[in-house]
Amino acid sequence: MRSYIAFTKKEFHEIWSTYKFFILITVFLLLGMMNPITAKITPQLLDSFMPEGMVIAIAEPTALDSWMQFFSNVPQIGLIVLVIVFSGVMTSEFSRGTLINLLTKGLSRSTVILSKFTMSSAVWTLCYILCFAVTYFYTAYFWSSESINNIGFSVFCLWLFGILLLAIIMLGGVLFKNSYGGLLLTSGLVVVLMLVNIVPNLQNYNPISLASNNMALLTGDVPISDFTGAIVICGVGIIAFITSAIILFKKKQM
Amino acid sequence: MDILNIEHLSKSFGTNNVIDDLSFSVPENSIFGFIGQNGAGKTTTMKMVLGLLKATSGKINVCGEQVTYGQNKTNKYIGYLPDVPEFYGYMKPFEYLKLCGEITGLSENKIKSRSEELLVLVGLNKFNKRIGGFSRGMKQRLGIAQALLNEPRLLICDEPTSALDPVGRKEILDILHKVKGKTTVLFSTHILSDVERICDNIAVLHGGKLALCGTLSEVKSQHKQDGLLVEFASQVDKQQFMTSHSLASLMTNVEVTNTSIIFHTHDIEKTEMAVISAFTETKILPIRLEVLEPTLESLFMEVVK
Repeated sequence: MRSYIAFTKKEFHEIWSTYKFFILITVFLLLGMMNPITAKITPQLLDSFMPEGMVIAIAEPTALDSWMQFFSNVPQIGLIVLVIVFSGVMTSEFSRGTLINLLTKGLSRSTVILSKFTMSSAVWTLCYILCFAVTYFYTAYFWSSESINNIGFSVFCLWLFGILLLAIIMLGGVLFKNSYGGLLLTSGLVVVLMLVNIVPNLQNYNPISLASNNMALLTGDVPISDFTGAIVICGVGIIAFITSAIILFKKKQM
Repeated sequence: MDILNIEHLSKSFGTNNVIDDLSFSVPENSIFGFIGQNGAGKTTTMKMVLGLLKATSGKINVCGEQVTYGQNKTNKYIGYLPDVPEFYGYMKPFEYLKLCGEITGLSENKIKSRSEELLVLVGLNKFNKRIGGFSRGMKQRLGIAQALLNEPRLLICDEPTSALDPVGRKEILDILHKVKGKTTVLFSTHILSDVERICDNIAVLHGGKLALCGTLSEVKSQHKQDGLLVEFASQVDKQQFMTSHSLASLMTNVEVTNTSIIFHTHDIEKTEMAVISAFTETKILPIRLEVLEPTLESLFMEVVK
């Protein structure tokens, strides 16, 4: 337990000293601000670009539009930045050989994986909460009266999907020698999930719906219960990816 | 007592047999030089001792406990210095040793006192800056400090001096010499002068097998093949000297250079007699006459031929 705490502390020290933390925080804060503002000014922007005399009817933006931006920007920009920043979290240690000293000091290999997973999950959670909070307050400021359905649950779904991606990165880091391998595995699996999503029967069990179907929750088109399958599969996936990363890492010759 | 015992160890990568039925042991409180060419399998052997690589067959015991691959219970006896030790560049030496100490399970007080002591030993106590700015020699010294942190009974160093300048090399060898008595040192190298300087036991690895093993003096005396060097002032003198009748029987095993001849022989006295009578016979005198002792280098060249 002590070595877990020590190594996790080292992980936080590392992400802080290598400026990755600041990159993530900046990106997610920017996203948080962009979401409501984009929703608010889109009609005005369109208006100003229209040739004179031409009128298109755009409905007055609502809080729902702001959350629509949130659930499209965070998966499309935020998660991609997250995956890129963390893709080297395992492989940089292998390529530089920095783990050798610590492993021969008695650091267990499962601790390495769990510490890195803990750190990356904590950073993702913090960035995500900040992004959400900023969007939430701006949205409340612009459209104070409106209330949104299932917002908490919908936000949780996307968070869980982020954790799944981090678990895949851990496995990719053990499987491949360089960080592009981890990126490839992560993006490859996401593409597979998207392809699977074409089959209507499987949609309810597909973790990708946690990141793509959030608006349906907010509008109330889909009940919360429809997401149970996907959440369970996602949870099982996280455990399976981390466990196999640990097992494979224990077999890896250093 | 033997601190490290290797029995019938083999390791192959695919079809490439790197280590082939290797057996030797390292006695306690010795400095053991593990010699071999680049690619002889020194690092591979050390990594198997540390449980970082899986042995194809064979047994390794450290302090009487068997090493199992992927586990690190025997590593509590071992301190390891990799050939190029890598650290987290954003940490300071003290922070790094603290991390190592916490991982290895030392108490806070112990970590503090050991770190201070070791940083003085390796001469890094005044460098309280990030490791990223360290020279190679400084990293090597910090590597020794981290390896000695948990007071290991066996210190394994993988080519600790290979990449260093003469000053850096001397510093590392001095440190290794200082820890002798408290810790057994096993170090691999291909720099033979380093071995002669500090080792008392050696093993030469060649083709995955041991080519030589024992104490330095034992090994030297077992492979004693003497040489007699005769050097002349000019090439003409040498040519004339070589025509002498007294030398006829000795000319089978000689090494001739520009102005000198080396006679290889097992009976040095008889050779010397013959050479001296050749001097009187030809009336040519040498500028140097020397009995050559076998050097570690000549032994090494002989076994890796």
